[in-house]
Amino acid sequence: MHINKMAIENTFNKYHKAGLFLMLGLLIATLVYLYAFYQENGDIIRRDISLTGGTSVTVYHPADVSELKTFLERDFEEVSIRETSDLRTGEQISVIIEVKESPEEIIPALEEFFSITLDESNSSIEFTGSTLGAEFYKQLRFAVILAFILMSGVVFVLFKNLIPSLAVILAAFANMAMTVAVVNLLGISVSGAGILAFLMLIDYSIDSNILLTTRVLKKREGTLNQRIYGAFKTGITMLVAAILGAIISLFLVSGFSEVLKQIFTIVLIGLCLDIFNTWVANVSMIKWYADRKGMQ
Amino acid sequence: MKLTFRIWIMLIIMALSILAISPDFGKGVVIKSVEKNSTEFNVGMRTGMIIESINGAEITTVDDYSTMMGRLFASNFSEKKVSVNTNQGEFIILASSPLNITIGNKPRTNLKLGLDLQGGARALVEPEIEISSEQMDDLIAVTNNRLNVFGISDVSIRGVTDLSGKNFMLIEIAGATPADIRDLVAKQGKFEAKIGNETVFTGGTDDIADVCRFDATCAGIRSCGQQSDGSSICQFSFVVYLSQEAAQRHADITSKLKIDTTTPGRYLEKKLDLLVDGVITDSLLISEGLKGQVTTEISVQGSGVGLTQEEAFKDATASMNKLQTIMITGSLPYKLNIVKLDNISPNLGERFIKYLFLAGILSFVGVSAVVYSRYRNIKYTLGMILTVFAEVLIILGAAAFIGWNLDLASIAGILIVIGTGINQQIIIVDESSSKDEHSGSGIKERLKRAGFIIMGAYFTSLASLLPLYWAGAGLLRGFAFTSILGVTIGFLITRPAFSDMLQKMQP
Repeated sequence: MHINKMAIENTFNKYHKAGLFLMLGLLIATLVYLYAFYQENGDIIRRDISLTGGTSVTVYHPADVSELKTFLERDFEEVSIRETSDLRTGEQISVIIEVKESPEEIIPALEEFFSITLDESNSSIEFTGSTLGAEFYKQLRFAVILAFILMSGVVFVLFKNLIPSLAVILAAFANMAMTVAVVNLLGISVSGAGILAFLMLIDYSIDSNILLTTRVLKKREGTLNQRIYGAFKTGITMLVAAILGAIISLFLVSGFSEVLKQIFTIVLIGLCLDIFNTWVANVSMIKWYADRKGMQ
Repeated sequence: MKLTFRIWIMLIIMALSILAISPDFGKGVVIKSVEKNSTEFNVGMRTGMIIESINGAEITTVDDYSTMMGRLFASNFSEKKVSVNTNQGEFIILASSPLNITIGNKPRTNLKLGLDLQGGARALVEPEIEISSEQMDDLIAVTNNRLNVFGISDVSIRGVTDLSGKNFMLIEIAGATPADIRDLVAKQGKFEAKIGNETVFTGGTDDIADVCRFDATCAGIRSCGQQSDGSSICQFSFVVYLSQEAAQRHADITSKLKIDTTTPGRYLEKKLDLLVDGVITDSLLISEGLKGQVTTEISVQGSGVGLTQEEAFKDATASMNKLQTIMITGSLPYKLNIVKLDNISPNLGERFIKYLFLAGILSFVGVSAVVYSRYRNIKYTLGMILTVFAEVLIILGAAAFIGWNLDLASIAGILIVIGTGINQQIIIVDESSSKDEHSGSGIKERLKRAGFIIMGAYFTSLASLLPLYWAGAGLLRGFAFTSILGVTIGFLITRPAFSDMLQKMQP
């Protein structure tokens, strides 16, 4: 057992720098992908109608989704249809229809298809004007960028030390960028709530980075590797607890609320990526820094 | 075990929170709104009263109420005595149709649910021109008045400013809402009565002295019938009392008109056109006898249609109500654009909240399992659960205390608080129990270091959440509010208490 531990420690000492390069490689790939995505779509994310403008109608009435799609595509250019269902019974709860047009245009078409009068007892209608949607998006994007800058400021004040602070910020940035890329790859259209999830992610992922850096720089007990390993044990417990909580919640509420489903999905992706960005990349940077400073 | 000061603080605030939420398991239905100037309003029924029984029959649910109204008024519209027993006394009303009130199940707690959880309508309205904050206050007053006159009282209207300094009016109406909310809030509401190109009178108090509304002798549905295509039509009419000047104007204009001899009946050659925001909604024939007369009483008519007679009746009533509303409240000096309009069905509510609770409990169980398997210490696990529970309870208590509406965004905020809360407690436990033999630092010092991490995490949270408070015309304020409140409670109250608990638990 003891020999094993030694072997692991030796491997770690030898190869830890690879973590940083691996992360930089992945980050560059991510940024290239996002740039290509931007070139193609005019933005680094796919926005849903709450951020571009349009109407979302949730109908609590059974329907054949593919039939509905064919029916609507005759008159509407871009139609997106999803359905939600109860997890336990698999029974369809609602059909969500999103179009760029106003409620006045889509409601009559839906009433024709469903042969019912849509009112508050059987449907929810959300309309966002296109200027407001665009403005909303601009402001949320600004809020995320501002949050990131303020957060970086706090990190600098906390550690009063350039390299470790930059390491934390780089790890947090890589985590955000990679999460955005995965969200795009999964074809998710991000809503206002989705942008909130990115904000939550900044918050979540930074905790483990602060923990790691504090343990390495401010703790005096144990060797450097022991301190990193101690922080890793704490951090992984935190992550496993958070991921488990997010999976359970995602599983239970996804049938009911698109808003919460998206938040949990994005947070979950981000938390999984954080395992890499904190415990491989940030660890690599902070160990490198501590080694050079001659810390034990 | 002797409790420390910081644990006492947490317990006291928890108790206060329970008091603020004040759970109540009694039954009954609550009056959510009473139409202004209606008979019900005049006898003293008000929003917030709790109905206990009607005509001696106990009313415990909204269904009971609907059944009772159905039994009383389904078959015939003759006037009946309805005696309503509330927690604030008995009211007796003579009514020929269901009461002019809206009701809901009595809330179990003081917690208010947001629109996306209990259903309702939300509109974000932008004036076409830039307006000052005084003008915004005016706009809010007119809109409020309009909605009140229309009979909607469970409404919140406020001005909001977004990050770029744009002004909006945010209207939120809880519970059931009329489908034509768009007409009520976005219409400039410019009412004009014209003969030819000449304006006889306009909406508002300058020209209109009074509008008959709840008096069946001068306002109501007059007749219903079938149209040739099988659909139904209902006619309404109500009396408008003009000011002296408007009546004089009417006399001057009509005196110049000739009598139309081409159609049967004796009418003037031109009609009285009623226009709302520049669109003719109805044209009324003017009888010969009114020519040149100074008349202060004008009967306004209109109609509503529907597939069935019931639908036509409803449509006509709604049209009449809308027309009366804009005649009374007058118009706004500029146009309004609805930039966001959400109508959320209440349909999802209860089942959703059940699942949300289930998700919460299962997440607690899952997280506890992780924590227990890591530390093999039941005390730590229970302490953590208790602390996170305290945090959620205190957030809810604060929300109940200040009357915050808990919407989906707020719930997302609470979730982030739970997540970071657990994370930070894990950090505290790990710091405090590091069993290093070389360690010269005692538990106090180790907890201090945990405190440093917690403080760092708190200020980064604060930094990342604050910008959100203003972004997007305040639509995400719920998230910003609950999460900032939650992490602050954690930082100031629960985390210190948890540290003390840990010290007590250490051997």
